[in-house]
Amino acid sequence: MIDERNETEVLLSVRGITKEYPGLRALDGVNFDVRRGEVHCLLGQNGAGKSTLIKCVSGLVEPTAGEILFEGNPLPSSSTGAALSRGIVTIYQELDLVTDLTVYENVWLGHEFKSRGLLDKTRMIDETRSLLNRIGHEELDPRVRVDQLSPAAQQIVSIARALSRSVRLLIMDEPSAVLGDREIEGLFEVVKRLTAEGVGVIYISHRLDEVSRIGDRVTVLKDGSTVLSGVPADHPPEEIVRAMVGRRLDHVFPDRAPSTEEVVLEVKGLTLRPHFTDVSFTLKKGEILGIAGLVGSGRSELMRAIYGLEVPDEGEVFVDGRPLAPGRPHVALANGLGFAPEDRKSQALLLHWTSAKNVSLADLKRFRRGLLLNIGEERKRAGEQLDAIGTEPGSTDRQVRELSGGNQQKVVLARWLLRAPGVLFLDEPTRGVDVGAKTEIYRVVAELAEKGLGILMVSSEFPELLGFCDRILVTRDGRIVREAKGGEISEEEVLSLVVRREPVAEVAT
Amino acid sequence: MTDAVTRNDQTAADDRTRRRIYIQEYALVGVLIVLIVAGSIAKPSAFLSSSNLFTVLTQASVVGVLAIGMTFVIASSGIDLSVGSLVAAAGIAGGLLGDGGSGMAFILGALGFGLLLGSINGFAITFGRVVPFIATLAMLTIGRGLALRMSGKTPISVILLDQVRWFGNGKVLGIPAPVIVLIGLTAIGWVVLNRTAYGRYVVAIGGNREAARIAGIRVRPIVFSVYALSGLCAGISAILITGRLASASPVAGALYELDAIAAVVIGGTSLAGGRATMVGTFLGVMTFALIFNLLNLLNIPTEYQLIVKGVIVLIAVVAQRRDS
Repeated sequence: MIDERNETEVLLSVRGITKEYPGLRALDGVNFDVRRGEVHCLLGQNGAGKSTLIKCVSGLVEPTAGEILFEGNPLPSSSTGAALSRGIVTIYQELDLVTDLTVYENVWLGHEFKSRGLLDKTRMIDETRSLLNRIGHEELDPRVRVDQLSPAAQQIVSIARALSRSVRLLIMDEPSAVLGDREIEGLFEVVKRLTAEGVGVIYISHRLDEVSRIGDRVTVLKDGSTVLSGVPADHPPEEIVRAMVGRRLDHVFPDRAPSTEEVVLEVKGLTLRPHFTDVSFTLKKGEILGIAGLVGSGRSELMRAIYGLEVPDEGEVFVDGRPLAPGRPHVALANGLGFAPEDRKSQALLLHWTSAKNVSLADLKRFRRGLLLNIGEERKRAGEQLDAIGTEPGSTDRQVRELSGGNQQKVVLARWLLRAPGVLFLDEPTRGVDVGAKTEIYRVVAELAEKGLGILMVSSEFPELLGFCDRILVTRDGRIVREAKGGEISEEEVLSLVVRREPVAEVAT
Repeated sequence: MTDAVTRNDQTAADDRTRRRIYIQEYALVGVLIVLIVAGSIAKPSAFLSSSNLFTVLTQASVVGVLAIGMTFVIASSGIDLSVGSLVAAAGIAGGLLGDGGSGMAFILGALGFGLLLGSINGFAITFGRVVPFIATLAMLTIGRGLALRMSGKTPISVILLDQVRWFGNGKVLGIPAPVIVLIGLTAIGWVVLNRTAYGRYVVAIGGNREAARIAGIRVRPIVFSVYALSGLCAGISAILITGRLASASPVAGALYELDAIAAVVIGGTSLAGGRATMVGTFLGVMTFALIFNLLNLLNIPTEYQLIVKGVIVLIAVVAQRRDS
């Protein structure tokens, strides 16, 4: 079997590729190749360099050093057009279909068939049908609108579109994240048909079981380097998990006093389909509770539902023992909840406003003197909070859009320092933030907990959660599969829990 | 060393940004000065008199009051296309109520009907989830239809209602009443926009609705209120225009919504929401009024005035885009 593979020719060959960003080496001399007709699984934690690697291959990002050969010829760097014209097609996790258009319109978008200057609708529909036939999905009607389709069917449309571009190398970024078990079977069928035609596939996934099921080879990246590469049969899942974990920690977490036993937030049987089901937990005064899970495991939606930004299907939330009305963020806020969302630019900040005005937004009423605002007082108090959190001096009167990511995040935190809620939700508080700002953010959050706030924190960086949180809830497919004290669970265990695909009941403790 | 260099670069970049915003905010002042200088050279005696200044301000007052409400609407990233029709509808409602000879009945009727129709806009947009463009477009035709139906297509004279006519022709210390109303309401609008929590919330909702929600701002009541406020402003405009013409006309206010929107936009309030300036709105209203006045004094026909107005709107919007 292996001999046979060696004879097949190499489709893509990445040689010693390095990509540096200011202050960060995302890829460090990575070698990687894909042969004709094989599925090469690419694994690694968030930030390990997978995305950067596929962006280099698809021409979105120009490598700092190294070369990429495709069918023996160098690929012009940083040209998506060149990659596409050679048949390198990427299907991203967030499908980039135009949902208001039909299946066939999506498939031929950008390279439509025309006759006498007009769109040749009949031909496009027929060709779409034959593409869908080729991947065994003749049941899909090319004339149906994409927003009528399930995520699984939309994925099939994306693959058909890749085929319409005469795909030779297909890059799939976590294609199974949004799919159910049976749908994944269907996806594997399609992948097998493609490889039988000689298409090479780079398959990025967090699900280890998939590696052994469809992977011909597997490569694990960590901190921008290859740490494992070979045939799945030689590397059991445990070994792969071990290779993925143990990322270096470049910061020190502050020491903290143990939390109290007084419950500030209780969540009972909260369900929001399809994001999470029957979630129950308590948060204590002065406690930092972490939620570990993959992107798409329902962790952000959980926070949003508790805070009232989404209306849950079932379940209740209690703050200080009193039930909280669902779907009303202003009520949540009035009851002492605060929320620093995942995407600060689109969900937290007014980019054209000064830092001071952004800080005071959630607590403007405190500056009211009669009908008017005391803006001198407002600016002063906001400035104090910005200083307390170590925001770059002089930020108070600057527009937020001029600040760095770390300073923007500090503006969001300063807002909640000013408001002083009893419970604070932090969704990926250190994402896109430099190391110095990270340390500062940990310090401030630890101080808040010290003052008696309950902190609920989501992070994709498991070492951060394990090092910083008093307690961890591990989630998978929208359910809590494990609860553990900070010191009682290893990164390896967390990772193997979140990546496993088994019926949840079997692993729940 | 490197740090110091980056730092200097950063500061220099900031200064550049600030300077650009500064220039943009006061560009209209420059335009106004140019217009005034041009006017004083072309028609020194007619243009520079205080009576001409009051004429300009009086002519500007009806659209000016609409533009105050429109500033709040646009700041919330909405639009109100109905205000021109609401001026007519409110005027007719007031005229019918005041027909017995009560000026106060006219005033309350006009304010009340403007507020009512504006609230219906707000209701459709917040609870009916109709996009503002469509909801207020519908009200544009409904309002005009109501004005025509209620009046039987004929103007209603208010020649006997002194209180109403005072708003058109009255004077305090030599200053025309509509000018006092315009400047007074602009000042109040400025305070509400810049110095109250309400004003801050309106702009926050316009700039980033999700962020406003997460910061605990109740979005729907506030969005509702800006349309109600805009309707109320239409009621006030109806009083000013009816007072001046001594009759309430069912065809009054046609296309005033576009003049108000244009004034707000050239003033610097962002159509995308998040940035609003009441001073800018006032300067925008004055710019159009001065151009209108100057071209009139120079006997330049209306068609040219329309073209000039449109060109100014385009230039102002392009300048705004450059800035952001």
